[in-house]
Amino acid sequence: MSDLTIAQKAVGGEIAVRSAPYFPRRRKRITGRSIAILVFLTICALFFAIPLYVVVVTSFKSMAQIREGAMFALPGPWTIEAWDYAWNRACSGINCNGLKVGFWNSVAILIPSLILSISLSMVTGYALALWNVRWAGTFLFLLFICAFVPFQIIMFPLISMTSTLKVYGSVWGVAIVHAVLAMPVLVLIFRNYYKDIPQEIMSAAIMDSGSFWRIFVEIILPMSGNILIVILILQITSIWNDYLIGVTFGGFNGQPMTVNLANLITISTGTVAYNQNMAAALLTAIPPLVIYFLVGKLFVQGITAGAIKG
Amino acid sequence: MRTRIALLAAGLLSGTCVPGALAVDLVVYHSWSAAPEVAALNVLRAGLEEKGHTWTDIAIPHNTGSNVNLMSLVTGGQPPNVFMESNPGVYRDLAGMGFGATLTDWYEENGILEHLPASVAASIRVDDEIVKVPTALHIDGMLYYNMEVAEAAGVDPAAWTSLEEMFADFDAIREAGYDPLAVGSQPFQVGYLMHALTAAIAGPDVYTRIYGAEVDPAALDDPGFRQTLETLRLFANEAGPEAQNRPWNETTNEVITGNALMQIHGDWMKGEWLAAGKTPGTDFGCIEIPGAQAVVVTVDAWGMLGGVPDDVMQAELDFASVVLDPEIQGAFSAEKGSTPVRLDAPEGSLDACSQNVLQILSDEARQVQNPHNTADADWQNSIWDVVFNFWSEPNMTVDEAIEQMKSNYDTILG
Repeated sequence: MSDLTIAQKAVGGEIAVRSAPYFPRRRKRITGRSIAILVFLTICALFFAIPLYVVVVTSFKSMAQIREGAMFALPGPWTIEAWDYAWNRACSGINCNGLKVGFWNSVAILIPSLILSISLSMVTGYALALWNVRWAGTFLFLLFICAFVPFQIIMFPLISMTSTLKVYGSVWGVAIVHAVLAMPVLVLIFRNYYKDIPQEIMSAAIMDSGSFWRIFVEIILPMSGNILIVILILQITSIWNDYLIGVTFGGFNGQPMTVNLANLITISTGTVAYNQNMAAALLTAIPPLVIYFLVGKLFVQGITAGAIKG
Repeated sequence: MRTRIALLAAGLLSGTCVPGALAVDLVVYHSWSAAPEVAALNVLRAGLEEKGHTWTDIAIPHNTGSNVNLMSLVTGGQPPNVFMESNPGVYRDLAGMGFGATLTDWYEENGILEHLPASVAASIRVDDEIVKVPTALHIDGMLYYNMEVAEAAGVDPAAWTSLEEMFADFDAIREAGYDPLAVGSQPFQVGYLMHALTAAIAGPDVYTRIYGAEVDPAALDDPGFRQTLETLRLFANEAGPEAQNRPWNETTNEVITGNALMQIHGDWMKGEWLAAGKTPGTDFGCIEIPGAQAVVVTVDAWGMLGGVPDDVMQAELDFASVVLDPEIQGAFSAEKGSTPVRLDAPEGSLDACSQNVLQILSDEARQVQNPHNTADADWQNSIWDVVFNFWSEPNMTVDEAIEQMKSNYDTILG
């Protein structure tokens, strides 16, 4: 009985395919143009892939093999010695506990910085887009200008300010500076996203006696999934890869992983251990990559959602 | 109960404190993280802990002269107690902010100055006051050669008494199948080679008039300086295409692996040789540039933060006395691969290269300071530019190079 149904289904399926409109595709010819495109794309891919290949294979080599100088050769014996050293034993100053110390510092910096920067910008963007704020245009314009001020110019004033606020040299100091510096761009992104929410929804919400915060939490926040993913990836990447803010505001104990990496790699006199350097660089680069692979699909959705609406 | 507390207190005191000294936690700021550097720092830490203090470490790498990170810590109100810094500008800035600490009296009370080589004693002064504590010493241009290759090629670098004799042997070395001289075509390596050669060929007087604090443009016309540039051209001729932008340590590896006989570069080369398991004096030889009139000395130094309470200042001075202790200097240099900054460091702690260096440095007239310590930064950079162009451009004449330097002088310092 069951065999029969399967057979019937299969036949039905075949019929369905046959009855569908059939457009014969022209047989693809390899033209000069497509070859040129293929070559160009291959070169582009190699442009990024070759250095990556060298980084990866070097990190698995022993120093003895690296000294021989064959940069593109595969590791003689594969060894994870360099990775182990970079993670567990590399020195940052006289503390030789590896990059893992900086890794957890970076995590400790990342989470409050993310929460602070995203929540601040989100609420500001929401207020500017959907509420009648006096001087909203001027404020937006000022934010827009701020997006073009290089951090280095305002670094020393910021140090004085965080020092007055008693947060200099702590994770919170780093988080506040990240939040403030990310605000211009993030507010603009959020504001433009919320601007496309139909006015009717807001009117209805206000009529149902929703307060500023209640509308935000119950209506706006649930609609922000796409854009939150985009901002999350942007912010995780920029905070994780940041060196200057962490090193300047982190004080004695709060230095992020990038500072450990720089300590490991910046050697003025002495042997350069390329395998350890490469392993350390890869270790530092992995977390944003993992995040991107996990939510990358949503990232693209988020970007295109914005594009279609706009 | 009371006796128990008293016992506990006594136990703590005897365990952590040397009688009479107050335990202070010193924040030590530096840029060292390489294995030999860390081993050397641990020698200092052990000495500091013996004096009853503790060491809080902050390591941030930096390549810029202005040491921005140190200044951020000071501006933010969390300055370190001691910091590694050679640039005199940083000391002037700190003094201007009320954090300067002058050590002139301390040096005189402890009778340290007479044990320091002349160039070291000069390098620790900023505006006539001693503010630095020298910790490690390097020579900017030493000749390191592979002894096995020298034997195979039938030459003895130690017997060369002038650069002419050295170049005269080059053909024999090539015939034996080796590159005579490994060079790296990088502005940094060429710039260092140039000032080392200036001290070696043109002599300390011309060197100081060009690379010193007060520049005398007439020194650019000195025949010795002209000869230096002519010699630099001979070095440039040894640079093949493979030398293009080759880092110094890879250049050193050309000598270690026996492709080339020798390299003339800063004596931090020793670190590469030691890392490759070679022994100074048996596997590789280290001599000064043949016929050199003077050597250029680089000094790594610590600074002390002023404007602190007395007990903290005392602890900072304890740190200084640890750094300058002759025994600790010997142990420190052996770990770091540098040369002690004291002429009276114990003989047993010195390798063949360091013994050689200290012997040169016992002669006051044969040493000059690294330009980073003395010269105007823009002027020095402009020399590097001209010299590297000269190096890379075989058609550029010595006259053209000197003309360019003169016109740079007029723009920058004139």
